[in-house]
Amino acid sequence: MTEIVDELRATRPRAGDALRLQVLTAASRPPTRQASLLDRIRGRRLALLVPAAAGLAVVSAVAIGVTQPQPSARDAVSDATTVERSSDGSGAELAAPPAAADSGTAMAQKAAPGPVTGRAQRYVATLALAVDDTDALSEATQRALTIARDLGGYVVNVQYATGADGTASVTLRVPAGRAGDAVTRLSALGTIVAQNVQIQDLQESLDGLDRGVERLRARIAALTVQIERATTPAERARLLEQRAQAQAELRELRASRAATAAEARNATIQLELRTEDGSGAVVGSRLDRALDRALEVLAWEAVVALAFAVSALPLALVAAAVWTTRRTRRRREDERLLAAS
Amino acid sequence: MTVARSAPRVTPRPTFAEVAEEHLDDVFGYLAYLTRDRGQAEDLAGSTFEKALRLWDRFDPERGSARTWLLGIARTTALDWFRAEARRRRREEAAALPERVDEVFVEGLSPALEAALATLSAGEREVLALRVVLELDGDATARVLGISPTAVSTRLSRALKRLEERVNEG
Repeated sequence: MTEIVDELRATRPRAGDALRLQVLTAASRPPTRQASLLDRIRGRRLALLVPAAAGLAVVSAVAIGVTQPQPSARDAVSDATTVERSSDGSGAELAAPPAAADSGTAMAQKAAPGPVTGRAQRYVATLALAVDDTDALSEATQRALTIARDLGGYVVNVQYATGADGTASVTLRVPAGRAGDAVTRLSALGTIVAQNVQIQDLQESLDGLDRGVERLRARIAALTVQIERATTPAERARLLEQRAQAQAELRELRASRAATAAEARNATIQLELRTEDGSGAVVGSRLDRALDRALEVLAWEAVVALAFAVSALPLALVAAAVWTTRRTRRRREDERLLAAS
Repeated sequence: MTVARSAPRVTPRPTFAEVAEEHLDDVFGYLAYLTRDRGQAEDLAGSTFEKALRLWDRFDPERGSARTWLLGIARTTALDWFRAEARRRRREEAAALPERVDEVFVEGLSPALEAALATLSAGEREVLALRVVLELDGDATARVLGISPTAVSTRLSRALKRLEERVNEG
């Protein structure tokens, strides 16, 4: 065996001069085919594509975040506007959210419906406004109080605080007929962050109370007649007690009606003021909004990549199976070919 | 105190001409054993280096030596030729491969060894060429043949045994 191996090695074939000249001449020429981009990044370098793609996704997300930040609070006001009506009869259509965010006053006029005239209603409006700084906060608070007085209303409560961020909470009551004006004028004191209007119909309740009063008055009158006609002291005492009871109920009912009427007479407006440079929760900085937007874009990119991976995975598996099968079959054919040659 | 730092050693990538000159005999020898035809081996060696020149930009020294890479291309080229030959013979309705013209495909071999090699299959001759003649190690041979190192060992052992039997019979 060793002799055979030695002989095979000793007689190792050498290429002829013609072949050597041909190959070396060809080898000294520059390659005619330029390497494609795919060629240059083949093999392990393909693994660099993953971090490169991830980096590109992050950079694009940040770029989009910086150039198209999340809408600010003032931009988001259209989403924050809500109008609620309860009870039925008020009937008016809900106001559509405003299209232009910065036209606060115009928006308030459109977005905040006033009470319906001719019906008793409980009208509660909540306005959240952002102002530039604490000076503007103070001025806006003062002007809110002035507006309430100008419209014939009054101030129920005022809370004013300044610190790292300034806030003021003002509760006003204005005549129901002036509620629309009030909301419009108050909206102009800052940038609207959110507004909420609740309108509850009280007319049915008021009508019910009126009917109750009339019924009690009639009953009291009837009892008075019966008392005058009473024949025995015991009967008279019983009727007197019944009338006293009905009179007490009437007083309660009248008080209730007065309270309900008063509720409908004035609208309640809750005004929340906050400085823009305070808590980022109300109005985030441009950087915060840019980051939020970037994260949102990144999340969408991840979703798209995941969807692509999920949809492409079956195809990739099939392709891999086909490739493996063909490779195995090719190898077997090669082996057979070499064994037969 | 300054500490001299040696720069990481980077092996310069050889030129294709250097690689071709260094491994031309290996490629030719392998093809000669595989085809048992010097003339055909020369043609296939020429084709191999043409193909290698076109693919030279793809060669990655970190994945294997230039020698292994060239032998892999030579094998693919030879297999293409074997397939074409098989098709041609089928077209000619030859039931079996015709006997080759006895010619000296390796100069200096004893007639007995030459005759014994002629009885081996191309698959057996190629593993002898790679492992014995070119003295590739098991891993490099496995990469060229696309099989495991264990399979290389088995195939080599079987080929050597058959070759020895044929030499003794002759």
